[in-house]
Parts: sequence; structure tokens; C-alpha cells
Amino acid sequence: MGNIKDEAAQWLDGTAANITFIVTKDCQLACKYCYLVGKNDKERMSFLTAKKAIDYILTSSLFFGRQKSVILDFIGGEPLLEVELIDKICDYFKLQTYIRGHKWFDAYRINLTTNGLNYHTKKVRKFIEKNITHLSITITIDGNEIKHDLNRVYKNSGKGSYKNVLKNIPLWLKDFKDIGTKVTISSADIPYIKESVLHLFSLGIHHLYTNCVFEDVWKEGDDKLFEEQLSELADIIIDNEYYKDFTCSFFSENIGKPLDPILENQNWCGAGKMLAVDAAGMFYPCTRFAGYSLREKKPIIIGNVRDGIDKNKLRPFLTLDRTTQSPQKCLDCEVASGCAWCQGENYDAAETNTIYQRATAICLMHKARVRANNYYWNKLYRKLELEGQREEFEKNKRKVKPVDC
Amino acid sequence: MTRKLVGQVTPDEKNEIQSLFERRNGLNELAKVLTADNAELYEKLVKDMGETGTKFQNWWDTMARKYNWESSPNGNWEINFDTCEIFLNAE
Amino acid sequence: MLQYLVILLDDTSISFCHYSVNKKERNLISLDHLRKGIRFGMVENLMIQFVYPDYTLPQEYLDVIDTIDHSSIKPFAALDSGTDIVVIDDWECDATKLKDSVLVLRTNWKQFYENHSKLKGLLNVVQRLNVVITDLERMNDCDRENYKAVLEAMCKDIEALYVDGKSPQFNLLTDRMILTEMNNCNAGDTTITLAPNGKFYICPAFYYNDENDNVGDIENGLVIKNKQLYKLDYAPICRKCDAWQCRRCTWLNRKTTLEVNTPSHEQCVAAHLERNASRDLMLSLRSKGTFLPDKEEIKELTYLDPFEIATRWK
Repeated sequence: MGNIKDEAAQWLDGTAANITFIVTKDCQLACKYCYLVGKNDKERMSFLTAKKAIDYILTSSLFFGRQKSVILDFIGGEPLLEVELIDKICDYFKLQTYIRGHKWFDAYRINLTTNGLNYHTKKVRKFIEKNITHLSITITIDGNEIKHDLNRVYKNSGKGSYKNVLKNIPLWLKDFKDIGTKVTISSADIPYIKESVLHLFSLGIHHLYTNCVFEDVWKEGDDKLFEEQLSELADIIIDNEYYKDFTCSFFSENIGKPLDPILENQNWCGAGKMLAVDAAGMFYPCTRFAGYSLREKKPIIIGNVRDGIDKNKLRPFLTLDRTTQSPQKCLDCEVASGCAWCQGENYDAAETNTIYQRATAICLMHKARVRANNYYWNKLYRKLELEGQREEFEKNKRKVKPVDC
Repeated sequence: MTRKLVGQVTPDEKNEIQSLFERRNGLNELAKVLTADNAELYEKLVKDMGETGTKFQNWWDTMARKYNWESSPNGNWEINFDTCEIFLNAE
Repeated sequence: MLQYLVILLDDTSISFCHYSVNKKERNLISLDHLRKGIRFGMVENLMIQFVYPDYTLPQEYLDVIDTIDHSSIKPFAALDSGTDIVVIDDWECDATKLKDSVLVLRTNWKQFYENHSKLKGLLNVVQRLNVVITDLERMNDCDRENYKAVLEAMCKDIEALYVDGKSPQFNLLTDRMILTEMNNCNAGDTTITLAPNGKFYICPAFYYNDENDNVGDIENGLVIKNKQLYKLDYAPICRKCDAWQCRRCTWLNRKTTLEVNTPSHEQCVAAHLERNASRDLMLSLRSKGTFLPDKEEIKELTYLDPFEIATRWK
């Protein structure tokens, strides 16, 4: 028998600890839907701050005592602007977990999402090669050229970034087999959803994690247009049998059902179960609570690399449930399942300084998605039944993970 | 290259090889960071790599004997950590 | 539903709770605001509680106050026959003047440990004693052990008073035995505060902490946003808790956890030490004879902070 190979598993089903390093607040782009209102080129994390954060996290049982595995997330701005720093941080993590005999040496992943512009550079290639067995990189490409360039524009020229991102897609797909990308929908790009999804499939991206922005950007009629786009997309995916090789999280079987107030009372968002650290060494329950992410509110700082985490500041996050933060219309909603929220946006949009007021700007868009989704599954299952293919499909279908932010 | 399902292991057995797989990958990537300057740590790493490699191979040997999986002269087995299934890849 | 209106008569009105009065200059509420505050209380059917400073108010103020049935919260220095609740933060006061009073004793941890032996004497004199720990949120492991020991010692004192045929009322130990549900400060839900500047606040602490943190004013009315968060049903930890005597201080909640509906670890632990001591006291009194036969036994718990099992509730 020759080489023995193992397939990588889905990473522990979301039970891992998640630590996000906000390595820079700078980015080449100024995407129109970006929630990072305070981006700048001044706040770059120092290696010393990152080291202190790792030292604290590896010795603290308060926050991460129970999780068997960890995901190191690197975020910006554009994280690959700081790939050398990220590389040093990862090396330090590996070394320290090994020296300390920490359980996470055997159970870590490195994640980052990039705009893809620097993906081909030598520094980035070297980093990928060095960390390939633990690394996952997602390049954000938002769809076809029109849709991508509608939002994802250079900060200085205002020109679209599509062509420069596209150049790096083949290299990325070669590095990361079976990877997906995240597609974000805001009001202006609804007319291009169908073409965009099909375009991304044609590039060889098999899995699309799609979501509407949580901010209150929606205009009258957007929901109708959204439903039309998704329904047309459903027809094309089914008629051309793309469902056999591709997934698009717009279409998910488990959405659009009422939720039990007791048995299905979990919070959607993981804020408070993860930890973000910024250049100043401040800890946040998620990056969305850092100052540069907030339009209206002060940041929620839950500690720092010197003093550690203030456990009292975590209590509201860890006891937050669906019903306590939801308005009555959400509790009564008959298509509630799959309707997402972002705790940071809830906080930013709330009438008082609380995380306990759920923002509902996404309501009509969710309902439109549910209608199109129902159409998709009814049509698909009828086709499969008529062709005698349903059992086979059920057996092989891939789980689509929900995208929350 | 053909791929054929040839067997399945128990979840406990899968956990054992997954843990060794993770450790082997971690050690391999740490080896790119560590230099011989740090003699004590370097020696520990080399020893760990040897031991983990041996345990890794032992697992496959033991399981192959236990389950008597189909094999092929130039093929290799692989495991799906999600399903505990064993596949034979052969030319 | 609102039931009580607290009116701070002056910026230097005595604190009767956890907060400190950080304003040193006298600043009496205007007569206009006072009249409007009283009218607000009347039309909303609220019981009014006036909080006094340590000096005598002008006669025209006393006349206006007298136009409505009310309670008076006064510092020891202003104690008179019209006082309903007297507040002290000095353990050296003359206890003979406190006979049959409802007394609020404000103290920090350190003073509490040093002076707790005086509590039995006070309980012999007063009708009711409320002890407020002013640095509750700074409780450390050492305080935790000390507090537990003091409460245990106090149980013996209270027991002796009961055996003597008395019925002492002491918030830290006897309230839990009598209560059948949560009985907390309820600021923002059943109680609201009018400050000398004519603005409404969730409680006096919010006024002293930040004057801009108001919830409306006497001219334009009360506007409490996210009002539901002040209700017990919207407090994920507290709504399942049975430390019913807990102060559940809204202001301390926000100060320590940034949310008005979430108590700190320290608040929960202190309340559970009191609850558990109340349990021991109740069991001990019942071993001596019939005691509160209509009340259920307080159950034994394995935790001091219900947050520890909060995820199980979800």
C-alpha cells in the first residue's frame, strides 16, 4: 500500500474557540456596504500586543477552558496587508502551544477572509505554503463584474476591483479544494443576484454563502425584486441540475418555520463566545463591538491583554436568548427559522445602549427568501421524485452551514 | 484514479486517527518554524515527530488487519472524518 | 406598571441605596418642578417618596409636600417625627433616637465586618433594618468568606430575638423567609425618580452618575425606551432565580455588566449567601417549633451564582 492520506473534516462543527486578531484597520478598498465605518491606516497591531494576547489566552481558563480546539481568525481592514505579522503571530502560537503542552497544539485552524488583491504576492504565497494544512482563506468575490464593482471599489480611485480579484481566483481554487465564498447582498445589487451566482459557479466556486446585510438599507419593493431573482435562480439551478455539484445558501431546507419559544430559544450570534483583540490590545466580544465597526454607539470593551477579561461584561452575552431580545412580531412569526441577526448591529441600531433589542430591518427580505426557498425545494423534490432520484440526492447532499455575519 | 468505499471504522477509532493526523500536521508545520539553535526543543520535536509517525502507521496497520480492507499494489486508503468511511484510491 | 415616584428634593439629598451622592452644593428642586412632580404622581396614581437633604427645607416647600400623602426618607441629621425611613452611614449614631424606625444602614465591606456586632442592638430597637453594602461590586474571595461567616453569626442573633418573642425584620436574613416571589428595587419598572433638575431618571444613581442619562422630564413626560428590560421577565438570570430578597440593583447591573437586566457575579453571590443563611435560619427556627408554616422550605442549592447554570436553562 502506498501513501496513506486523510481527508480534512469539517472543523469540529462550530464548537471551537474563536479568537480574532484585528491586525489592521486599513484596506485598499472602500466597499459601499462595509460596516467598518472607522477604517484607517494608523491602527496596526504590534507583534508585542499579539504575543500578550496569546499569552493571556493560553493561560486563562476563564474564557477558553472548555473548548478543545481553536480557530485563529485574522481580520482587517484587509488582513493580507499584514501577512508577515500574521505569519509571526501564527508561529508564536504554534511554538507556545507546543512548549506549554497546550491541547490546542493538536487542534487549531487559521482562517482569514481577504479581498484577494494581494493573493498572488510572494509574501502571501510563502505564508500559504508554510501553513497549508491548518489554513483556510476565503476570497470575497461578490458576483459578476457589475455586481462586484457596484460595491467593492478602490478607496482612492473609486474604480471597481473585480478584474484584479478575478486574476487570483484560479490560484486560490487550486490552493483550497472545495472552498466557498461569501456573497453579500445590499439594496443596489439585488437585480444582479441571479447572474452573479451563476457567474461564480462558472468560475468553479462550488459553495456560496450568501446573506443580506443586516443594516437598515432596504427600499420599498426590494423584497419583491429579491424574491423574483431567487425564483429565477431556482429555475436555472434545477433545470440545469447545478444542485448536483453546487450549493448556494440562499436555498436551505431548514428555514421558514415557526420557532418554539422554549426549545428553540438560542441566540443566533456567537458574540461573547469568541474574542476579538485590536491593535490597542483591547478585547471585544466580537469585532463588531470594536469602535471602528460602530456608527452610533461606544465600543463594548470586555478587557485587555494586560488585565484580562472582565467576566461580568460577558454575562449579558452568554445569557442572551432569542425570545428576550426579540420583539413580539418575531416571536409570533410563522417563518422565523433562519432569520438571522448580528448582535453588533442590534447594539448599534438599538434605542438604548443594549444588546437586548433585536434589529428587524431584514424582516421583509427574510420573508421573500423564505417564499423563493419554498418554491425551490418544492420544485426540486418534485423533479427528483419523478426521476426516482430523491433518495440518492438526500443521501449525498451537503450540509449548508448558516452564514451569520 | 478510482475511489472505492472499502470499509468503516468506529467513531472512537476515527477520533484516534484524527487526533494523530492533527498532531502530525502541527509538528510538520512547527518544524518549519523551529531551528536547531533551540537544541532542547528541537530534539523534543524530532522525537515527537518520530513517535507520532509510528503511532500513525500503527493505526493503519492495526485497522487494516482488524477489518481486512481491500487493497491495491499502488493504491492508498483514506478516511472521511465525517462518516468514518475508508476509501481505497487506486490507479 | 409604575407605582412609586421618588422625588429628590435637593442635589445633596441623602443616598438610601448603593450609589454615592457626588454633588456637594445645595441645589433645591424648584417649587414649580416640585408641584408638577406631585401632580404627576397624583394623576399617575403613584405613591410619592421624598428624599431629604440634611438641612431644614423652607416652609413653602413643606407646605407643598404636605398637599399629598407620601413617605419621607431622611438622613439621621434631619430625623423628626415625620420620618418614615431614616438613613445612616455612621455606625456611631445614637440608637435610642431610632426606636421603632425603619432604618437604612449604608456601609462598606470593611466597616460591616468591623461593626456587625452592633447590629443585634439596632435590631432590638428598630422596626426594620435594611443594610446596604455600598461597595458590593468590589466583593472579593475574602469578602465572600467573611460575609458568609457574619451572616451565620447574625442568624444566631436573630434566632435569639425570635426565641425572646420578637419579630425582627432584617433585609439580609428575614426577608427571604417571608417572600414568595422576587421583591427587588424595580427601578424603571415600578419606580421612577424625579431629580432637582426636573428630569426623570431610572433611579437616583443614574442622575448622580450622568445627568444626561434621563428618561424624560416633568414638562414633556416620561419616555423609557426598552422599558421591558427593567421587568423581571426580561432578565435571563434573575427570572429563574429564587434569591428573592436580592436588591437586583438596576444601576449596579449596568455599571458592572453594561446591561440593566444582568446582575454581576458579585451581586448574585452576595444574594445567594444571604439566601442560604436565611435557609439555615428558617430550618433552625422550625426545629424549635412551628415557624411560618405556610411558607415553603428554601431549597438547598449547589451554586452561589445562577449564571453557572444559565446555559442549562437555554
